[in-house]
Amino acid sequence: MKKKKRISLTFYAMVIPMAILFFIFHTIPFLQGVFYSFTDWKGYGTWNLVGLRNYTHIFSDKNIYSSYLFTFKLAICATILVNVIGLLIASGLNAKIKCRNVLKAIYFIPYMLGTLIISFVFKFVFSNILPMVGEQLGIEALRLNILGTNQAWIGVLFVTVWQSLAFNVLIYLAGLQTVDQDIYEAANLDGAVGFKRFMKITFPLIAPFFTINMVLSARGYLMAFDQVMAMTDGGPGTLTTTISVLIYKKGFSGGQFAYQSANAVMMFVVIVVISIIQLKVLDKREETING
Amino acid sequence: MKVIKKAIVLCLSFTLVCSTLTGCGSKNNNNKKSNTTEKTTSAEGNSSSTEEESSLSGKIELFSTKTENSMILQTLADKYTEKNPNVTITINAPAEAKTVLTTRMTKGDMPDIIAMGGDTTYTEVQSAGMLEDLSNEGFVSNIQESYMSMVYDVNKDKEQVAYGIPYATNASGILYNEDLFAKAGVEVPTTWDEFVQVIEKLKAAGIQPFELTFADAWTCLPTWNSLAPDLAAENFNDERKAGNVSFGATAEFTELLQKYIQIMNYAQTDFMGTTYDDGNKAFANGEAAMMINGNWAISEFKKTNPDIKVNMFAFPGTNDTNKNYVTSGVDVLFTISNQSKHIDIAKDFIAFMIEQENASQYIEDQFAFSAVKGVEQSNITVAGVKADIASGKVANFPDHYYPSGFDLSAILSEFALNYMNGMADDENITATLKNCDEQYDATNVD
Repeated sequence: MKKKKRISLTFYAMVIPMAILFFIFHTIPFLQGVFYSFTDWKGYGTWNLVGLRNYTHIFSDKNIYSSYLFTFKLAICATILVNVIGLLIASGLNAKIKCRNVLKAIYFIPYMLGTLIISFVFKFVFSNILPMVGEQLGIEALRLNILGTNQAWIGVLFVTVWQSLAFNVLIYLAGLQTVDQDIYEAANLDGAVGFKRFMKITFPLIAPFFTINMVLSARGYLMAFDQVMAMTDGGPGTLTTTISVLIYKKGFSGGQFAYQSANAVMMFVVIVVISIIQLKVLDKREETING
Repeated sequence: MKVIKKAIVLCLSFTLVCSTLTGCGSKNNNNKKSNTTEKTTSAEGNSSSTEEESSLSGKIELFSTKTENSMILQTLADKYTEKNPNVTITINAPAEAKTVLTTRMTKGDMPDIIAMGGDTTYTEVQSAGMLEDLSNEGFVSNIQESYMSMVYDVNKDKEQVAYGIPYATNASGILYNEDLFAKAGVEVPTTWDEFVQVIEKLKAAGIQPFELTFADAWTCLPTWNSLAPDLAAENFNDERKAGNVSFGATAEFTELLQKYIQIMNYAQTDFMGTTYDDGNKAFANGEAAMMINGNWAISEFKKTNPDIKVNMFAFPGTNDTNKNYVTSGVDVLFTISNQSKHIDIAKDFIAFMIEQENASQYIEDQFAFSAVKGVEQSNITVAGVKADIASGKVANFPDHYYPSGFDLSAILSEFALNYMNGMADDENITATLKNCDEQYDATNVD
């Protein structure tokens, strides 16, 4: 008979307390949220179970439809931009250039500042500084605060990309540093240089990091909240209302607590599905590249 | 490597996605407890003792949903406890007061006196059956009837019972720069036609007529709030709730939005991108002659320019001067919890607050208006609406009657955006009113 290996209790002591706290403060409220999505609770007072009414209502709600549309637009654009620019910057920083560490620090600053602070700063830039510059230089396009126009989402996108770039750069940089220098030397001998080397050698080798970045960015942007609240509050009109903003605004101040809980559950399912699809597709890609 | 990576990604995703739901769940409370309201008011019999002040003793808590007024409430409470040495009053005016109050409500731990706005928060507490009926108190007759009826209107099923005593009120209309009006040689208009002439003259004199601040969507509301009571039929809100009428099919709302467009025609170029703060600064520095907002903005102007000569007048929405109401709502409403152990002290304290001297002291400190008969705001910055308010020529903010999920400010912001994008006015108005009806019906169901 195989002898069971005794596992030290220390490991459990490290994990269990956090697991209990996590369960109490995270999992239970989550399950409660799911439960309330089947009721008509307004956030106070009495409530009744209403079955799937909230869920069926979601599909005929114009606000929810438009918020999903906007959220996907933002998430797709931001994911692409962040990954392309992030990879470019990381490749640059990985080369032996001067002031590399200073540049790394500079690129990482936006990540250390909170999204809210950055958003308020950019709100000021968009509403005061840029229009002033436009006025001085006579550039018509800059005279209007972009956050008050149809293009408000570009302002939101810009801040989102700028803020989250650092984290992606960091992961790509870590990935690039795992690539063995010997491989590059071998590639050089075989005549793979520059862009060709990047596409044929570097990129396949950091594929797992690409997967992580894609999944984390997509998930993060699908839940964009802080920057929208700080910069546009979902406006003008409802142009920049993301799903999270809609849930917050209508759920807390709009008396639609239960209904928006249902929306939150929906969003949870959607994001899980998207993440799994991404993992599946990208994993397959990794296999074909590496295998 | 791959398994670990997958696990990390999934865990992170799960954790962060959950956080949206966590936010919702954390507000959960045991709401079953809130139904224990059968408890009869044991102190009812003692209410005759209001004259023998010294006999009162006990500790009460005064909860205010406005952090801005905690100082003046403290001053007045100190004055009260000086006369009633055996009474202690604790003032509690937390941030996020509404959330705190709902939480305490569900826990059955209500403050003795709650001072709140005459809005949905009041309706929530009142419809939960947690407030003392104050109809039989003598001081009710000292309150202006127009404000009393605003309270009845927001009671559940419009019950004609005074669960709350209106104390301080606010006013919304047109804030104007007296110097710029003098410079353009115009007088305060009282009808819509005069108003249009004033706007034209200001423009001709090279003065920007309006400063609008639609980057903060809520500032789209005051224009609607001022025009709607002037134009729409008095029972519109009830009829709309019952589904008998619609915004789209009511000609007055088309007129309202036409007038709204005329206002936007005379605003600064980037009104969609101007924030409330920036607009207040610009107005305080004399960059525009008028702003459409309430008395609460005055103290903001004074911060930028202490010397600004600002005054207010009622929005002249129609050519019938009798219909041009000042938009005014109840800002502070005193209510007493029916679970309080010291209902007699609470009632006595409210009676004390309503005394002319104390009510005056309060509104002077707050730039507000009083719901108490005979107490007038003497500050010159609001002189233009003083008479209307004192005579009760006021209409409540119509959005106090809309369902709380009906986000009118977003709809109006979209309307303004369409205007900016050059959409034809008729098309824009039709689309906006249709949007109003759709959104209203969507929220009215739940």
